Amino acid sequence: MPDWIVQLLITLLKGVGVALGLLTTFAYMTLIERRLLARMQIRLGPNRVGPMGLLQPLADAIKSIFKEDLTVTLADKLVYTLAPIIAIGCALTAFGGLPAGPPGSLFGADPWVYNLDAGLLALLAIMSMGVYGIFLGGWASGSKYPILGGLRSSAQMISYELGMGLSVLGLLMLVGTTSFHGITHWQANNGWMILFQLTAFVLFLISSFAETNRTPFDLPEAEQEIVAGYLTEYSAIKWALFQMAEYVNMITASAVMATLFFGGYRGPEFLEGLIPGIASWPFIWLFIKIAAFLFLFIWVRATLPRLRYDQLMRFGWKLLLPVALTNTVLTAAIIAFSTGRVRVWLLILLGVAGVALLIGFSDRVRVLWTTPTVRREDVNLTPARPAGGD
Amino acid sequence: MMLAFIILGALTLVGGVITISARNAVHAALGLVGTLLSVGGLFASMNASFLAATQVIVYAGAIMVLFLFVIMLLNANQPVTGRDPVPFVRELAGIGGTLLAGAFVVLAFTYEDPAPLATSAAALRGGTAGAVGETLLTRFLLPFEAVSVLLLVAIVGAVALVQRPVPQPDGVPDTEPAGLLAPDTGLVFESVTQEAVLKERGRA
Repeated sequence: MPDWIVQLLITLLKGVGVALGLLTTFAYMTLIERRLLARMQIRLGPNRVGPMGLLQPLADAIKSIFKEDLTVTLADKLVYTLAPIIAIGCALTAFGGLPAGPPGSLFGADPWVYNLDAGLLALLAIMSMGVYGIFLGGWASGSKYPILGGLRSSAQMISYELGMGLSVLGLLMLVGTTSFHGITHWQANNGWMILFQLTAFVLFLISSFAETNRTPFDLPEAEQEIVAGYLTEYSAIKWALFQMAEYVNMITASAVMATLFFGGYRGPEFLEGLIPGIASWPFIWLFIKIAAFLFLFIWVRATLPRLRYDQLMRFGWKLLLPVALTNTVLTAAIIAFSTGRVRVWLLILLGVAGVALLIGFSDRVRVLWTTPTVRREDVNLTPARPAGGD
Repeated sequence: MMLAFIILGALTLVGGVITISARNAVHAALGLVGTLLSVGGLFASMNASFLAATQVIVYAGAIMVLFLFVIMLLNANQPVTGRDPVPFVRELAGIGGTLLAGAFVVLAFTYEDPAPLATSAAALRGGTAGAVGETLLTRFLLPFEAVSVLLLVAIVGAVALVQRPVPQPDGVPDTEPAGLLAPDTGLVFESVTQEAVLKERGRA
């Protein structure tokens, strides 16, 4: 067999493996999420199907496959079918570029599906295509609430994509490469990136919540306002595909945060002293970090209420973006004008100051020291402004 | 490599044809997305992964989403029927298209590489942004800045066009008590009369 066919087969095998792994994780993630939410709300959650409810995902899958697949009369049939496929396709593709271990550690093969030099940029590009799924799904349903959900999602995801892209610029300047391998190597030599770019991590975390449409940014499917948003007219397996895309995106975002800010597939270096070589064991460290972030996603869902649409936009454009820009400029200045230990301390100081700024100017804290202003046009209106708001 | 080029090139053309022939504006926009993605794929197949990623992020990921956003907001996705409201629009478009095609032919025959192809291809290899950034910020600095100013002007113009005029207090009679007491809340609202607004504007 020629060499390139072998390579192609191995890559295909790895791709299928990643897809299966992600979908299994998705299935059990739904169960874990429901059980955890139940625990946080002092109830039991699904515990009847199988021991401790472990077969619940299987039952859900069978149900959603055999349900009737409805199509609305006014729907644009082609795009209506295409939308969930785009969503899940982009979600599954994005994960393949992330390294899960050192080269050659997967039975002699490399533990990633594709390795682009512009790794981080390529991942951002693929994730930015995911918006089409939700957006087109909303439009193609040919109904009122889905299109509202679709419009909201496109505005939200475009806005937070900017914050996301800007927040990692400082990191890229420090490392000097966009490939995930380069970033992981840099962290193995210098320490986890979160020490140097704390602000960037917080900004990236918030943007990830918005990009994956999770609470508190799940406006595209806000059920009190617009039924279920873009999902309203979807049923059966297409609905399940959208859900899959959301959870797979969450897993990918967790893996990206682990790779960019928490050392990637490498474990803590101080453990090397106890068991030599433990820090470069493949898979295990990345999985632990992903699990921690997924728990955070669930935890936040149980904790925070949903933002209002104007609050979401104001936060994204008036706070997240300027802080990200400032962080980028100041990081560049620090890199240009300082070296060695001074640079490290300055970067740490910048990180703490950025987070303090972000908290101090957030809507929850800002009202403590500024009084809400009334616009001049509003003076003539009857005093109908409710409490809260600004 | 050749196979990838043929497939992606064909996809690019198919997307372009859909863009101009589709009746529905959303389908046309989706065709354009296909074209842009295929061009990104062409870049990627030539090992210029930075250009490919930028192409997808900027064009397919941001600009086309905005296009679709506008199409959906204005509900412009209905098929075009009836006559064109602008006279001679087809003829003008034909002339414009011919001129553009001619310009491209001239370009194709008189094009000079800014750098030898081998050099620039080698610089772009490896996905580094360095080569692109250096060229943009040294040799093409002025055009680059001019384009950004152009974009800024376009944004300011758009904001100026859609800005709501200052609301005229039509409902408020010209003479009113100096202070309007809202009995329920106990709040005093200063009443703003039309004269006061006009005076204010005269001062500004």
